[in-house]
Amino acid sequence: MGKYFGKKLIIYIITFFIAVTINWLAPRFIPGDPVTSLLAQYQGPAAGRQMLETRLRTLFGLEGSLIQQYINFWANLLRGDLGRSILQFPREVSEIVKNNIIYDIAVLLPAISLSWIVGNKIGAMAGENEKIDRYIMPLFYGFVSSPYFWFAIIVVFVFAHSLGWFPTARAYGAGVRPAFTLNFIIVFLRHWFLPFFTMFLVGLGQWSIGMRNMVIYEIESNYANYLRSLGARQKLIRNYAFRNGVLPQVTGLAIQLGQIVSGAITVQVVFDYPGLGRLMYQAVQQQDFFVLQGAFLSLILMVLAANFLIDIIYMFIDPRIRLSYSEEE
Amino acid sequence: MAEEKTGNPEQYTSQGILKTVFSRLKRNENLYLAFTNPKVVFGISLFSAVLLFALLGPYFTEYGINEFAGIGSPASRAAPSGEHPFGLTMQGYDVFTRTVHGLRATILVGFVGGLIASFIGLIIGLIAGYRGGMVDEFLMGLTNVFLTFPQLPILIVVAAYLPYRGIIHMAVLVGLVIWPWTARAVRSQTMSLKNEEHVALSRISANSTPRILIEDIAANMFSYIFMVFILQYMGTIMATVGLEFLGLGPTRGVSLGLVMQHAVQSGALYLGYWWWGILPGLFLMLMIFSLYFLNTGMDEVFNPELREL
Amino acid sequence: MKSHWKTWLIVMLAVVFTMTFAFTVRADRADTLVTTGAIWAPPSNWNPLYFAPEPGTVGLAYEPLFHYNAIEGEYIPWLAAEEGAWIEDDVFHVELRAEPEWHDGQTLTAQDVVFTFELAEEYNLEYTYLWNYLEEVTALNDREVEFHFDTPNYQEWKQVLYEIPIIPEHIFSEIPEEDLQTISDLSEFAGQEVVGSGPYTYDDATPDRMIWQRVDNWWGNEVHGEPAPRFIEILVTDANHIVLGMVLQEQIDLSNNFLPGTPSIAENPGYNITTYYDGPPYHVPDNTAMLFFNTQEKGLDDADFRRAVSFAINPEEIVERAYEHTVEKADPTGLFGGWLDYRSEDAVDEYGFEYDPDTAVTKLEEAGYTDTTGDGWRNHPDGDDLSYQIEVPAGWSDWEDSVRIIAEQLRDIGLNVEPNFVDFSIYEDNMLTANFDMLINNFTTGKSGTPYTYWDGVASDQIYDEQATQGNYGRYENEELFEYIDLFNRMPDGEAAAYRVAEDIQEILLQDMPSVPLWYNGAWAVMSEVYWTNWPTEHNPTGFPLSWGGDWQLGTVQMLLELEPIE
Repeated sequence: MGKYFGKKLIIYIITFFIAVTINWLAPRFIPGDPVTSLLAQYQGPAAGRQMLETRLRTLFGLEGSLIQQYINFWANLLRGDLGRSILQFPREVSEIVKNNIIYDIAVLLPAISLSWIVGNKIGAMAGENEKIDRYIMPLFYGFVSSPYFWFAIIVVFVFAHSLGWFPTARAYGAGVRPAFTLNFIIVFLRHWFLPFFTMFLVGLGQWSIGMRNMVIYEIESNYANYLRSLGARQKLIRNYAFRNGVLPQVTGLAIQLGQIVSGAITVQVVFDYPGLGRLMYQAVQQQDFFVLQGAFLSLILMVLAANFLIDIIYMFIDPRIRLSYSEEE
Repeated sequence: MAEEKTGNPEQYTSQGILKTVFSRLKRNENLYLAFTNPKVVFGISLFSAVLLFALLGPYFTEYGINEFAGIGSPASRAAPSGEHPFGLTMQGYDVFTRTVHGLRATILVGFVGGLIASFIGLIIGLIAGYRGGMVDEFLMGLTNVFLTFPQLPILIVVAAYLPYRGIIHMAVLVGLVIWPWTARAVRSQTMSLKNEEHVALSRISANSTPRILIEDIAANMFSYIFMVFILQYMGTIMATVGLEFLGLGPTRGVSLGLVMQHAVQSGALYLGYWWWGILPGLFLMLMIFSLYFLNTGMDEVFNPELREL
Repeated sequence: MKSHWKTWLIVMLAVVFTMTFAFTVRADRADTLVTTGAIWAPPSNWNPLYFAPEPGTVGLAYEPLFHYNAIEGEYIPWLAAEEGAWIEDDVFHVELRAEPEWHDGQTLTAQDVVFTFELAEEYNLEYTYLWNYLEEVTALNDREVEFHFDTPNYQEWKQVLYEIPIIPEHIFSEIPEEDLQTISDLSEFAGQEVVGSGPYTYDDATPDRMIWQRVDNWWGNEVHGEPAPRFIEILVTDANHIVLGMVLQEQIDLSNNFLPGTPSIAENPGYNITTYYDGPPYHVPDNTAMLFFNTQEKGLDDADFRRAVSFAINPEEIVERAYEHTVEKADPTGLFGGWLDYRSEDAVDEYGFEYDPDTAVTKLEEAGYTDTTGDGWRNHPDGDDLSYQIEVPAGWSDWEDSVRIIAEQLRDIGLNVEPNFVDFSIYEDNMLTANFDMLINNFTTGKSGTPYTYWDGVASDQIYDEQATQGNYGRYENEELFEYIDLFNRMPDGEAAAYRVAEDIQEILLQDMPSVPLWYNGAWAVMSEVYWTNWPTEHNPTGFPLSWGGDWQLGTVQMLLELEPIE
C-alpha cells in the first residue's frame, strides 16, 4: 500500500513542480510588460513615471535576473506569498484568491458531489430499466451536448428572466451586506441556486451516462450470467453490478475534476458569480499576471488535492489495489 | 456471392440495392451490426443531416457573414421569415448565413483538433503500452500530469498570448492540449492486445516495432480509435466554443461559438431575439447529441456483451 | 443508511425552495443608489494622487474648486465662493467659501489649496506639468488664493479648475514621497481610508462593489443642498449583457454601460426606464470616436488620400446598424457640447466633408490612386499594392461592427481595407507605438470645458517618444498646427483672436485630415424609476447622470442633490 501511495505522491510532486514552473514562465512570455501597460494610463511627467515604475517593479518582484526571480518566486510561494495584484494594487494575491475559493467550495463542491451521487443512481437505473433508458437518457445526452455557457444562458433566461424566480447574476444583490443574518442567507441562497443548479444538471447528465454504460457492461458480463444461472436474485446481481460499475466512476471523477472545474469558468462568467476560474479569466483580460499566477496555481492545487483524496478513497474501496500492493510489500 | 454475378433485376430497385449492400456488409459482421444498430443509424443520420446542412447551407443564402441583410433593430425585429429562415440579428446580419458558415468552421475545427489530439494520444499510448517499463512510466507520468491540469485555463492563458488567432490556430491549440485522455485509453487497449498471439507471431518474425504497432495493434483497434476520435472531435468543439464565448476565439473569420457569443453579448434572449439566441446553439447541440448516440451505439456493436440481441 | 443522503438532499432542497419563495426579499435598499458601468475590476485605490483612483474619489470624497456641468457648459463654484477671476493677465484669483471643512472636522483653508499645488512643484505628480507655466501660488489669507503665471495657459487652466481635487495638508504632508502616488488609502496616516471634504466618504469595498456613504454633516448641505441617497453602491461589472439582465430585473438604478437594445427598453413602459432624451440618440454625447490614420505609413501620409477616405465613410450607416441610433454622427470638426462655441462655419463650408462616394473616387483618381494592376483594387500612384487594416479591440462588438461597415464602404470604392480585431492589450500597445494602419479610438476626445483638450487629443505634439500617450496616435506632424493649438491654449475665452486661431486649427484639421471624426460616443445612461426619481433628462436638466471615474464633478453630484426617493 505504501508503494502505491509513494508512487502517487511522486507524480503529484512532479505535477506541482511543472505547474509552478509553467505558471511562473507564462507571464514572462507575453509580449509587453505588465508595469508598462499599467502605466499607460499615467498622464504625468516622465520623471514621475520613472519613479512610479521603479517603485512598482520593486513591489512586484520584477527586478533582478530571471533565475533570481524564479528562485524568489519559489521562496515566496512556500511562504504562502503569491505577490500583489497589479490591477488591484496593493492588494495581496493570496487574499484575492481566498475570497474566490469560498464561492467555489459553495457551488462546485455540492454540485459535483450531488450530481455524482444522483447521476450514478439514475445511470444504474437506466442501465437495467429500458423505459428509463429510453426516455431519460436522451434528455441527459442533451444536457451534456450543450456547451456549459449556452446551457447556463438558457437556465438564466427561463428561471431568472422569464419566471423571475431567481436573480440573474452575482453572488448577492445590491443593498445587501455579507452578515450572518437570515436576510443575507436568503439573498445568498437565491443567488447561489442557479449556478449550482446548472453545474448540477450538466454533471448529472455526464455521470448518469457513464454509469449507465458501466452497469450494462456489468449486467451482461460473464460473472453476472453465471450468478443468474445459479439462480441468484436480480437484486443481488444489481448490487454487484453497481459496486463494480462505481469503481471506474470514481476514477472518472478524478480525471474529470479538472475539466469540470474549468468548465465552470464559463458558467461563472454567465452568472457573474465569483470563483477561481472566473478570477483567472478576468486576470487574463486585465493583464493582471500575478493574480493569474495565483489563481491558476490554486486551481491546480485544488484539483490535485481532490485527486489525491479520490486516490485514497479508491484505495480503500477497490480490493484489487489493496491486494496487489500489499502482496508486493 | 453468386447473386452478385447474375443479372438479378432486383438489384436495380432501391430495396434490391439495400439488400446487396447489406449482404456485402454481412461479410464484415461488425459493420453489418453497426448499420443495423438503431442508435448508430440515428446518430449517423442526424450527424449527416447537420453536416449536409453545413455543407450545402451556404449555397442557399445570398448574403455574406457580415453583410447587412436588412434592418434588425428591436423596433423592426425581424423574426424568421421566408426570406430570412432564421431571422436577423440586431445588427441586421442574416442568422441562417452565420449559422451555416459558423457550423462549417466549427466542424473543421473539430476535425483538425480531433485528428491532432487522437494522433498524439495514439502515438504516446501505443508506445507506452507496447514498450512498458520506464518508457511507460515516463510517458504515463507525463500524461497524468497533463490530465490533471484543468484544460480551459491553460487554453485561456495560451490563447490570450497569441497575438493573432485564426480558426486553424484554435484547432491546433486545442488539439495539443486535450490529447492526454486518448493516450491513457489507447495505452490500456495496447496492453491487452500486445500479448495476443498474432502480435507475438509478428514479433518473432522480426518485424520492426513501428510495423507491429501499426499493422498488428493499431489496425486491430481501429473501431476503438474511431470512437476515440469522435470523443476528441466533440472535446475540441466544446473547448473551442468555450474559448470563443470568453472572447478568446478567432480574431478573424467566423465560427459557431463566435456567433453564439455575439448573441449572448447583445442580450439576444433578453431582447426577444430567440431565433438568434437559440438556433445556432441548437445546431451545435444536435451535432454533439448525434455523436453521443453514435458512440453509444458503436460501443454496443463492438462490445458483444452489450448487444441487445 | 442508504436513504440517508436522499432525505438530506430532499430536506436541503426543500429548505432552499421555501426560503427563496416564502420571502420575497426586497433588499433593504430604499436609501441606496446602485450604479454600474464605472468599475470593471475590484476596487482598490482611493488616493486622489494615484493615476486611476476609484470612481467617486474625486467629486464624491475629494472636491475640486469648481464643478463643471458638462451638459450646460457652465462652471459651478464649489469650494470656491464665486467664479474665479483673472485680476491681471497672469494672476488668477479664487475666493473660498467659508463653510468647507474636512471629514475630520478641520477647516479647509486657502493653505490647503496652496499645499495641493505646491506638492506637485516639489514632487513629480500627474499635474506637475502645471509648473511649466505656473510661477507661484499664494494664500492671501485663510480664504483667498492667488495663482501667478509666467505665461498662463488659459484654456488648460479651465480644465484644471475642476480636475484637481484639493487635499488636506495636515494629512498628506505626513506621507513619504515614494508612497504619495502608490498608497491606496489614508488608514495608515489618518485612521480612515478617506479624509476629503465631499458629501460622501469611503464605506466599504469588496471585490464586486464599492460603497460610498453619505457624510451627514457635510459642509455643503446648506450651500449646495443635501444628497438623497445614503449609500452609493457602484457594482463591478464584467459584461454589458449581464447588466442588461439586471436592469430588466430592476436591480440597478443607474446603468452607465453600453446596453444593447436601449431604445426598445427605454420605449417599453413596462420597464420603468428613463433616458436623457426620450428618443434618439437617448444619451448625451461624451466623446468623439475618431478614425486615426498612421501618418508615417505610405499612402496614409498623403492628405489627399486621407480626405478621400473621409468622403467614403457613411457614419449614418454605423449609427443605424452598430448603434441602433443611440449615437449621432459627428460634425466634421468633431466638436460638440460647449465646444461648439468655437466651431467655424466657414472652415466647414470650405473644407468640410460628407458621405459622397463619387467625390471620394474623384479625389482618389486625381491623386493617382488607380487600379493599375487590374486586380480590382486601387494601387499607390507608383503602382505598389495598397492594402490596409483597421484595428479595434476584439470583443468590443459595437466597434467591431463599425469597422466592418467602414471596411465594406472603403472596399466599395476599390480600397483594399480589412477589419482587424486584436486583444485589447495588443491594440493599446499598437496604438501607443504607432504600429497600425488605421484604428478607431476615443480616449483623448472626451467632453471638457475647453475645445483645447480635443485639439490637443487629436493633434498632440507629444509624439516623439516611444509611446505617444497623449493622443495623436497616428503621429501626425505639423509644426504650424501645433503652434496654433498652443497659441489657442494661451488665449482667454471671448477674445476675437481666440476665434480666429480656432478657425485656423479647424481648417488645417479639415484640410489635412489626420483623423476623421465619425460619431459621438454617448454617455450611456439608463435610469430606473423603481427606487429613485427626478433623474436629469432633457425636460429636467439638473445634472449629468454619469458615474464613471472623473465624471462626478461634471454634473453627477448635481444629479445626487436632485434625486428623490420613490416611496
